[in-house]
Amino acid sequence: MNPAIGNTPKEYAVVPFYATAAVVFFIFTLLMFIAAPQFAAHYFHGKTLALVHTAALGWATMIIFGAAYQLLPVIFERNLYSSILALASYFFLLAGSILLIFSFWYFFLSWGMISGGISVIVAVLLYCFNVFKTADFKKNKLNIQNYFIISSALYLLITCTIGLLLVINLAYPFFNISHLEILKLHAHLGIVGWFLQLITGISVRLVPMFLLSKSNKSHLLSLSFIFQNVGILGFTLDRYFTGSPARSTLYLILVGVGIFYWLFYLRDTYKNRLKRKVEVQMKFAFISFGFLIASLFVALLILNFSDIQWSTLYGTFIFLGWISAIILGKTFKTLPFIIWNTRYKTLHGKMKLPMPKDLYIEQWIHYQYKLFVAAMLLLTIGIVSNILLIIKAGLFLWILIATLYIINIFKILFHKKQLTDGTSNNRSTLP
Amino acid sequence: MELQITDPHYREKSQALTALHGVIDPELYINIVDLGLVYDLDFSNPEEIILTMTLTTPHCPLEEAISNGVENVMTPLFPDRKLNLNIVWEPEWNMSMMSDEAREQLGF
Repeated sequence: MNPAIGNTPKEYAVVPFYATAAVVFFIFTLLMFIAAPQFAAHYFHGKTLALVHTAALGWATMIIFGAAYQLLPVIFERNLYSSILALASYFFLLAGSILLIFSFWYFFLSWGMISGGISVIVAVLLYCFNVFKTADFKKNKLNIQNYFIISSALYLLITCTIGLLLVINLAYPFFNISHLEILKLHAHLGIVGWFLQLITGISVRLVPMFLLSKSNKSHLLSLSFIFQNVGILGFTLDRYFTGSPARSTLYLILVGVGIFYWLFYLRDTYKNRLKRKVEVQMKFAFISFGFLIASLFVALLILNFSDIQWSTLYGTFIFLGWISAIILGKTFKTLPFIIWNTRYKTLHGKMKLPMPKDLYIEQWIHYQYKLFVAAMLLLTIGIVSNILLIIKAGLFLWILIATLYIINIFKILFHKKQLTDGTSNNRSTLP
Repeated sequence: MELQITDPHYREKSQALTALHGVIDPELYINIVDLGLVYDLDFSNPEEIILTMTLTTPHCPLEEAISNGVENVMTPLFPDRKLNLNIVWEPEWNMSMMSDEAREQLGF
């Protein structure tokens, strides 16, 4: 192999995450439908906690780990440190997610819940170790995109450590401050520290790659990094040490400014793109940014009004409108290429081959997009007006979205080699 | 890469470029010649071909597939020469390196 060419991570370091996340996403939509009345209740409830952790761990973090193991070499421009450690993190994340979700759903305050938390921490430690060893920052100079990935990994570790303390506190109370206060810190460290910084770091590398674009405005990313971190660290430390929500609006604005700097950078890459046609996968990314911005305004409502529905709407916008939307689109910009690579990379140029987009039904992603818009519209109306029937209608559409998604994912995963001799029309399917 | 008819290896280079049109970037669905990824073909040593090329993104997950594609089209065409694939990142690939056909396919 040419020494200038890196090794792609092993298939087993990436594919199990995608497969499992698709299954969990489908289960998640079923659980949401079953627990629909929780959308009109306070968030501190076993079933709501189960739903949130199904979305955050089993769905989002699961697929993000898989995507990250595939993309860390692109982001840091060097090979992934260890595919074996990546696979090990999969088993710990899977076991931890199952234990936590099951324990929350039935609200079993036992060692099962604590073991789940410990298992997730082990998975996160393995992930962080792989990130830091791949980054190898003792030897290599890092850029701003790299800082986002590294900081997000650290925030994930802090989030999960606090999460473990929270589940221990549920079973064996030892906190001398409010459990709900610590829960808010845990949630926002996860949302702003882990998800936002990870998505920022990956998107500023991938969006230009997918759009064939470039931006020279990397100072926007530096500002975004500073504002996002000052906002979340200020919020966490202030709430922990003073217990006062007085400055929460300020921290929200700081994070919001950080988000806008990131989106301005993406807008610049979009304006400079060479690929004029915007694919439906990218449309999911754009609509997800809309929900992220909307969630900032809903957070302002939460800070000023105590009605339950704003918290529910906030969680819905974050986990369904923003994170799930971006995953629904980006999955089809990564997984088909990963599978295509494993099936066809040695045959490229030898004969006519199917292309990555031929591995799934693209039309279904258009349907997914339309269903997504309708589902979010119904859910928003249902939650704000507190009408269960409308909430259920929205959640039913989410089941349809997950059905289309999981079928397409498994169509990709079980794709068999289809070879067409360039000189004839003989097509054969190989195992 | 521009080909001069006065080049002593015009015939070989022309054959090579025609074959390299068969190597497609799986993300963009455009061949690597029209994308402007092929920088140079050196046939001066009768026993080898030095093919200097770049990729749109360093450590792109598809780079191995593309380099395999190059080897798969070049090796049968020049069985007596060893292919030396030289992947470089300077000069950095940019839009001006693409052919008019490639720009058209991208929607320009």
